[in-house]
Amino acid sequence: MSRATPTRAVAAWALIGLAGFVLLPWYAQQEGVLAFDWIGGLWSHADSASGLALIAAHNRWWLAPLLPVLLASLAVGFVGGTRRQRGTTLVWLAGIGLAIFWLQALSIGLRGWNAEWLTLTLGEVGGRQVGIGIGATLVLLSLLGLLSLGLAQRGAFGGDAFVAGAMVTVVASIVLFTAWPVLRILLQAFNSSDGTFAPALLLDRLSTAKIWSLRCLTGDGRCGVAWNTLFLALCCGAGTTMLGLAFALIVTRTGFRMKRTLRVLTVLPIITPPFVIGLGLILVFGRSGVVNQALDAWFGIAPTRWIYGFQGVFLAQLFAFTPVAFLVLIGVVEGVSPTLEEASQTLRADRWDTFRTVSLPLMKPGLANAFLVGFIESIADFGNPIVLGGDYGVLSTEIYFAVVGAQLDYGRAAALALLLLAFALGAFFLQRRLVGTRSYATISGKGDSGLPTPMPAGLRRLAQWIALPWAGFTALLYGFVLVGGFVKIWGRDHTPTLQHYAKAFAVESGPNGLIWTGAAWGSFWTTVKLAAIAAPLTALLGLLAAWLLVRQRFVGRSTLEFATMLSFAVPGTVIGVAYVFTFNVPPLEITGTALILVLCFVFRNMPVGVRAGMASMSQIDRSLDEASATLRGRAWQTLAHVVLPLMRPAMVAALVYGFVRAVTTVSAVVFLVTAEYELATTFIVLRVINGDYGLAIAYSCALILLMLAAILLIQLLVGQRRLGRRAAPAPIAARAGA
Amino acid sequence: MSAGVEFRNVVKRYGATTAVAGVSFAVASGTLTTLLGPSGCGKTTVLRMIAGLEAASEGAILIDNEDVTALSATERDVSMVFQSYALFPHMSVLDNVCYGLRRSGVDKTTAATSAQEALQQVGLDGFAQRQPSELSGGQQQRVAVARALVLRPSVMLFDEPLSNLDARLRRQMREEIRELQQRLGLTVVYVTHDQQEALAVSDRIIVMNRGRIEQDGAPRDLYERPATAFVANFMGESNRLRGAARRLDETRVAVTLGDSEIVVTGTIAADGETDIAVRPETVTIDPAPGPAGSLPGRVVKATYVGTHMEYTVETAAGALFAICPRVDRPLAAGHAVALSLAPRGILVVGG
Ligand SMILES: Nc1ncnc2c1ncn2[C@@H]1O[C@H](COP(=O)(O)OP(=O)(O)O)[C@@H](O)[C@H]1O
Ligand SMILES: [Mg+2]
Repeated sequence: MSRATPTRAVAAWALIGLAGFVLLPWYAQQEGVLAFDWIGGLWSHADSASGLALIAAHNRWWLAPLLPVLLASLAVGFVGGTRRQRGTTLVWLAGIGLAIFWLQALSIGLRGWNAEWLTLTLGEVGGRQVGIGIGATLVLLSLLGLLSLGLAQRGAFGGDAFVAGAMVTVVASIVLFTAWPVLRILLQAFNSSDGTFAPALLLDRLSTAKIWSLRCLTGDGRCGVAWNTLFLALCCGAGTTMLGLAFALIVTRTGFRMKRTLRVLTVLPIITPPFVIGLGLILVFGRSGVVNQALDAWFGIAPTRWIYGFQGVFLAQLFAFTPVAFLVLIGVVEGVSPTLEEASQTLRADRWDTFRTVSLPLMKPGLANAFLVGFIESIADFGNPIVLGGDYGVLSTEIYFAVVGAQLDYGRAAALALLLLAFALGAFFLQRRLVGTRSYATISGKGDSGLPTPMPAGLRRLAQWIALPWAGFTALLYGFVLVGGFVKIWGRDHTPTLQHYAKAFAVESGPNGLIWTGAAWGSFWTTVKLAAIAAPLTALLGLLAAWLLVRQRFVGRSTLEFATMLSFAVPGTVIGVAYVFTFNVPPLEITGTALILVLCFVFRNMPVGVRAGMASMSQIDRSLDEASATLRGRAWQTLAHVVLPLMRPAMVAALVYGFVRAVTTVSAVVFLVTAEYELATTFIVLRVINGDYGLAIAYSCALILLMLAAILLIQLLVGQRRLGRRAAPAPIAARAGA
Repeated sequence: MSAGVEFRNVVKRYGATTAVAGVSFAVASGTLTTLLGPSGCGKTTVLRMIAGLEAASEGAILIDNEDVTALSATERDVSMVFQSYALFPHMSVLDNVCYGLRRSGVDKTTAATSAQEALQQVGLDGFAQRQPSELSGGQQQRVAVARALVLRPSVMLFDEPLSNLDARLRRQMREEIRELQQRLGLTVVYVTHDQQEALAVSDRIIVMNRGRIEQDGAPRDLYERPATAFVANFMGESNRLRGAARRLDETRVAVTLGDSEIVVTGTIAADGETDIAVRPETVTIDPAPGPAGSLPGRVVKATYVGTHMEYTVETAAGALFAICPRVDRPLAAGHAVALSLAPRGILVVGG
């Protein structure tokens, strides 16, 4: 057999760690590790020294215990003993190694000990540490690899090293890039700016009038941002649910002919950066928008800034999130069994009675779910409030200004983030309980031959009166956005022009080939590159996690599932602040790099991949995996040859989502971009805030086109599942009894 | 190539439920052994533990006299034919059959040659390039067999392989499986809930009930000398009666049913009332009330089922269900009859 024996794998991982420890610089390099300027100073310079040199020549005694751990692991690869004994030893060694690694990395930072009490009790440490570099990273990876091997050899995860490795990878990355930063920033809410623990401060920070004031009710001032956020979210949840229901009813319960057009509406917001709707609204209602211009021209009413504030944000969110509600509710409406409605009608109820007493109550949990989805989307939204909010502050924008403005007050940002997170998680838990206890589900395996009851006429007219103008208006907004890119100055000078596109995307041919002179190119290419890197990683990690969750049995399965879903409920703004705060300092000093943006994309969007993967994997009969196992297929072979080929649609979904969401996201990355790594969305938002609409519009349209192209490309590359026309063998569950 | 399988006090628990409660047996190399029992009795669980798809909670599993309890499915030299066939729907028939060989590192052309050979053995020569969805149920079944066969495993497992086929095909397939097993000298463990199927294909049958082994023996022994009422009932239709039994010697018992006493082979612990099973096909119905030693009765129900008549006869010993091959002169309900019971059809099963 050609497989590496476990002992050889152990030796290999240990050697990787040792190589990182001895041959490569331990700390991050100023010029990047690829500059190779560290080679000369690998022994002599503390900044570029290897781990071994740091211990021997630079007095970094705290790194010393890692060496024996790695050497002992290497030895485990060569000594005898049972598999189980070796496994136990490895788990211990790797565990100790990881503990030491993080202990020293977290407690000794840029100015020696990170906490004052450590200095007081242990004395000066006599050294400082910058972020970890390639050497330390290899050691970390090696320890994780050894841990996986150890667990597998002890018999965990069916003794399969690949499964153990996948598990360790998923858990470690979620802990490192979601749990840790979020916890860090939340703890910061309790700390004063110099890092001392001061829980009373949190109360101060959270009890200001700026957050909780109710003065807008009495008419003498503004309300606090917390109330603003909640009020907006309630309105948005209610509004999107109502509109979504109207659309869903029209599509499923009437003979409406343009159903396909309505379905297109549901794709648009997915590929539209969230503020494009806001932009469209400005073009209609803004100071130089068509409405104000018309009022001015015809009635001499001076243009107002009416759209900036609650009205604007609310409208924008309605437009942006109604399609999501529609998607949720179309399933709900279709789930109401026509037979029940027919039964009701045979019991002398007319259509209206039937709708009121049977259909609507059956839809209730679904309606509540749609409401909460709208609620959560609204409080997490950053793009629309920043563009249209004006004086109407909400938590997400407030957090942004606490960090970005002159304030630079992480404590305050953290306290606000805590509040926002509390709202989001509250709604999230509520929603999970609702969806979890959906006892009304009327979709069953039994064929339901009834015909959906047509809606009562009054209700139908109402739904059409609400939905159709709305759909028209949405189309109009997108139309304005499209046209807006081709006129000189919106509202003043409507001469057709290509100047905005030229400004954004001009290309000149220079002596050495093309010169990308357009203002947008820099951020455009950065976005495309980073999103293209992030999308496959997102899909990979998401599907890997899904595979573990659906196909492997292990303790803590439901905890892991919950953790991945939970990270989805954390608003982007909170993640952004958490990242910039946590990864600004050693040991993981990556703020300002492209890496942090990619990581942010991956871990923000991974839960979508997990969901898509889990849904599609649970449709694949488990006996296929088992058949592969009894045919000598190892876990990774089963994954590669059986599961993944059957999951192409989910892979497409995860890739598309990973890419599109990376391109369109604003909230999280707005904290992470730098002049060097500017992203398309943040670039556009800044243009909008500065009133440079032409460029912003041109750029937005280009982005939408880009994403359509990307979706088509991915569809083409990954393709569809190739199954015969007839269904797979009768889908008898693997555990079906005799 | 073939190897024996041994279970030593194997227990399997799922949380609070015990699916297999302490099972020991040994399957001889080169034989076909059937696990038989009602739904939910733990047959599949036993089979999956042999395959390594489930880990035993307690006890030891040996294949070829080697302890494999801790080995995963991949590491055991065992192949399985699944109830749902579990053919990979995205691979052609040939790729399905090659799958195991390719995973064990066999190169493509060698694997294809072996696969073609295996397909030939199951009578599917021309089908290599089809997709599984383009095959009938019986053909899919054969592909599943070929896919398992091609690895020359020491043990082959079948989990209700015929349950998705129609009655006619079931009979044909079970003969083919048996023929293949004998020709290649395979060790096969076969799971079914159909006693006829079990009787037809097995060298040995292990009857299971509620996670335990009820009885273990040759097909004929189980049918004719069931150790418990459960086995008697499960192995074939039988009438359950109470009757007085008297021990005559080591192997013979005198059973009193109504007025007649019949000597049968069997053992009882002590004389007295006991459970007696009577096979319906061993009851002879005489239209004229009569000969000495027979059991008088009256037909209460008569059903014509084509190949034979089925009667329910009320007697002093209770209602008896009987099968009569004579369909030319059926007896009507109410007819007085005399029943003679053949000793081989009377089973003393209770203590
Ligand atoms: N994964 C499982 N979790 C919990 N109980 C199980 C599981 N698999 C089987 N069981 C239980 O174990 C018992 C035996 O199941 P099984 O071996 O499939 O029965 P059979 O194949 O004889 O019909 C049943 O009561 C079943 O409910
Ligand atoms: Mg079963």
